[in-house]
Amino acid sequence: MSEPSPEISTAVGLVERYAAAFVSGIPDQPQDDGFFGPASVTWRLSADLSGPVAGLRSVLIQALHPLAMAGVDQHSDWRRDPVGRLAATSAYVATVTYGDRASASRAARRVRAIHEHVRGTDAVTGRPYAAGDPALLLWVHAGLVDSVLAAARLFGTPPADADADAYVAEMITSAELLGVPREIIPDSAAALQEYLAGVRAELRCTPAAAESMGYMLDPAGMGEELAELWQDLRDAALATLPGWALGLYGYPAPPPVTPERRTEIRQTLGVFDAVFMAEPGVLEARQQLELRIRAARG
Amino acid sequence: MRRRAVTLAAVAAASGTAIAALAVLRQRSMRVERGLAALRLAARGGARYASNAPRLFASAGEHRQRLRNDLALQTAEDVAATLGTMKGVLMKLGQMASYVDDGLSPAARRTLSRLQDSVPPMSPELAAQVVAEELGRPPERAFATWDPQPIAAASIGQVHRAITHDGRAVAVKVQYPGIAEMIEADLGNVALLRRMLKVTAPSQDVDALIAELRERITEELDYRREARNQQMFARFYAGHPTISVPQIIEELSTRRVVTSELADGARFAELAGWSQAERDLAAETIYRFVFRSLYEAHAFNGDPHPGNYLFHGGGRVTFLDFGLVKYFTAEEMQPLAAMVKHLCVDNDPEGFRRAMVQAGFLIPDAPVSTPLVVEHMAVFYDTVRERGPRTMTGEYASSVTRKFFDFRSPLTPYARIPRSYVILQRINLGLFALLGELSATADWRRIAEEIWPFFQGPPCTPMGTAEAAWRARRTVRTHAASLGQKILFFTERAVRQRRRLVRGHTGAGTAPGGNW
Repeated sequence: MSEPSPEISTAVGLVERYAAAFVSGIPDQPQDDGFFGPASVTWRLSADLSGPVAGLRSVLIQALHPLAMAGVDQHSDWRRDPVGRLAATSAYVATVTYGDRASASRAARRVRAIHEHVRGTDAVTGRPYAAGDPALLLWVHAGLVDSVLAAARLFGTPPADADADAYVAEMITSAELLGVPREIIPDSAAALQEYLAGVRAELRCTPAAAESMGYMLDPAGMGEELAELWQDLRDAALATLPGWALGLYGYPAPPPVTPERRTEIRQTLGVFDAVFMAEPGVLEARQQLELRIRAARG
Repeated sequence: MRRRAVTLAAVAAASGTAIAALAVLRQRSMRVERGLAALRLAARGGARYASNAPRLFASAGEHRQRLRNDLALQTAEDVAATLGTMKGVLMKLGQMASYVDDGLSPAARRTLSRLQDSVPPMSPELAAQVVAEELGRPPERAFATWDPQPIAAASIGQVHRAITHDGRAVAVKVQYPGIAEMIEADLGNVALLRRMLKVTAPSQDVDALIAELRERITEELDYRREARNQQMFARFYAGHPTISVPQIIEELSTRRVVTSELADGARFAELAGWSQAERDLAAETIYRFVFRSLYEAHAFNGDPHPGNYLFHGGGRVTFLDFGLVKYFTAEEMQPLAAMVKHLCVDNDPEGFRRAMVQAGFLIPDAPVSTPLVVEHMAVFYDTVRERGPRTMTGEYASSVTRKFFDFRSPLTPYARIPRSYVILQRINLGLFALLGELSATADWRRIAEEIWPFFQGPPCTPMGTAEAAWRARRTVRTHAASLGQKILFFTERAVRQRRRLVRGHTGAGTAPGGNW
C-alpha cells in the first residue's frame, strides 16, 4: 500500500467494450424471463436514455464507502484496465437483468466466488473488509438502485412514485443473488433513502476514491470526440449527486439544471445512444428485448 | 427573358465535379481535426460490418427494405424515443454524410445507416392518424383504396400505396408525427452540432456549414416543399423520352403527407443482372438528368442515391424523392460555367482562374501560379476534357477524393467553398459513385457538349437525338403556351373593357356579381 500507485491506463475502447458487455448479457434463447422479466419496471428503467448518467453516478456513490473502495483498489486491476473493470460490472448487471434465471444465478455464483478472495484492511480507516460482507454488498446495491432512479428523474423519463417503489422492490432479488439477506434490503424508495441516510456517517472520500473518480470524470485516452461528449455526461452525473456526496468529494455544487440544460444533456445522451447502438449486436439485442416486452404486454 | 436566362446559365457539365474537388481540397486540411465525431466513433465498430455490407450508399429508401412491422411505432411517444434527442438529426446527417464530410469512410456512412435501420415503421393506426390529421379525414375516406401496410421507408416517414377516388394509383408518403418539431428543436443545439462536426477551422466555415445543413434539413421537414420541387421537375421533363418524374397530387399533399403517382420499375440493385448496354443507357439518362437540371433548371437534386431511381429498360428512368433540391441563381451558375468553358473549351487558364476567384473558390491574389492551380484542378475535369468513350469505375469518385486527401496541395490555404455550392459535393460521391457502380461507359464529353449552353453540341447518341426532338417540341409548346397567355390577356382586357361599357350603360356597377 505504501508503494506508489501505477498510472491508470487509458479508456480506449470504452464504448465498444461496454456495448459488447451489454450484448453478452442478452440471451438468444432464454429458458425463462429471468428474475425480472419483460413486464418489469427494472427492464424499462434499464433501457432509459439516462443510463450512462446512472452508471457514472453509481460508481461515484459506491466509491464513497471506504471499504468498498479499498476492495476495488486493492484487488482489481482497474488501474491497468479501467474499461475492462467497468465492462465486467456492466456485463454482470446485464446478465442479471435480462438473462434467464440459470444464467443470472451462474453469473452471481461466479461473482460470489471472486468475492471470497477479496479481503484485506483498508489503509485509511484501518478497518478490515471482505467483499462478501452483506453490508458492503448492500451499499453497492443501493448505490446502483438510487442512481438509476435519480438519473431517470432528472434526465430520463421520470418514473411514477409507484414505479420507483416497484423498482426498488424488484431489485431486492439482485442483492439477494449476491448473498445479502432479504430482510435488510430496502423494499421501497423511502426505505432506500432511509438506508442511505443511515450509512452516511461511514462514508468518506479516500485518496483511492478521489483518484479513481477523478479519472472517471475525465477519462484519458477516450478519444477527442468522446471526451467532449463526456463533459456533458460528467455534468449530468454531478447534477444528480446529493449535496453530501459533492461535499465529501469537495466538488463545487454544479449549476442548477434548467429545462434548456436538461434538453441539451438529453441530446448528448441521444448521441451517445446512437453511437452505442452502432456497435455490433446492440441493435439486434434491443430489438429482441423490445419484442419480448411487446409480447408481455399482450 | 427565357433566352437571357439560358445564356446566363451558361454553365458546364463538369463544373459540379470541380466544386466537389474544391470541397475536398478545402476539407483536406481540416480533416485531421474535424469530422462528424459521432460518425467517426461509430465507424470504429462499423469497420467490422464492412465485409457483409456491400452497399456503397447509406441513405433512406433502399434501407429497411424489410420493414420491421413487428416493432412498429405505435404512439407519438414511441416516435420521440426512437427519433428524438438528436437521433433524427443524426439520421439526416448520415444521409448527407458524403456532403458533410467527404473524408468520412464508407464504413462510417454504412454505420450511420444502422441508425436508419433502427427506425421501425409506424403502425397502421399511427400512420392513419397522421393522414387523418393532415387530410381532414381518415385514409379510407381520403382515398378509394388504402393499403395500411407501408411498402417502403422514407427517412422521416414511410410510403403507403393507395388509389385515389378518380382511380389513380398513388404513393403516399406519411411523416412520423412530431418528428419535424423534434428535429427542429435538436437543430437548435448548435453547440452540440459544432461538437459533432468538430471543426477547428476558421469559425465562419463551421457556421456556414452548420447553417447550410440546418437549412437543408429544415427544408426536408416540410413535404410541401418537396411536392413543389417534384412538380417543377415533373413539368420540366414532361414528355422527355427517357426521364420520368411522377406527378404530385396537390390536393392530397400537405406538410406531412405527400401524394404522387405510383411508379413501378426495377430497383438499382436489379441492374446488376442487366446487360452492360442497358446499364450504360440508364447511366446516360441519369447523367443527362443531373446536368440538364443543373444548367437549364438551375436545380440540383442533392440526393442522387440509388434508392431514388426506378429503371424500365431502354434507358428509361423514373426519378423519385425531391426532398433535397438546391436552386441556384443565375449569378451563382455563371462562374461555374465560365470555369469549365475556360478550361475545357477555350483552353484559357487565366480565365479559368478568374472564374474560380469570381465564384469564391479561390481567394484573390493567392500566391500560387496559375499553371499550378490548373494542375491541381484539372483532375476533376477528367471526364469532360477530352472526347472519347470513358468507363466510370467504382473507384472513380473515391480515387479522386483520395487523391486530394493525400495531396499536399499548395492551394489548400487559399481555397474556399462558398456556402451555396456545398451541396454540389454530392455529385462526386453521389452521381459518380453511382455511375461507377454501373461501370457505365459513354462519351461523357460529347454528352456534356450537348448540354453546355455555350457549346450546344449536336446529339451524339440516339438518346441525345430523342432528347433534342423533345427539346424542340418543348420550345414549340412553350411558345404555344405564351401565345395562349397573350390571347388570354387580350381576352381578359376585352372583357374588362366590355364590363366597363356595360356598367357605364346600366349604372349597375355595384350590383353583386355583375352578371353578364
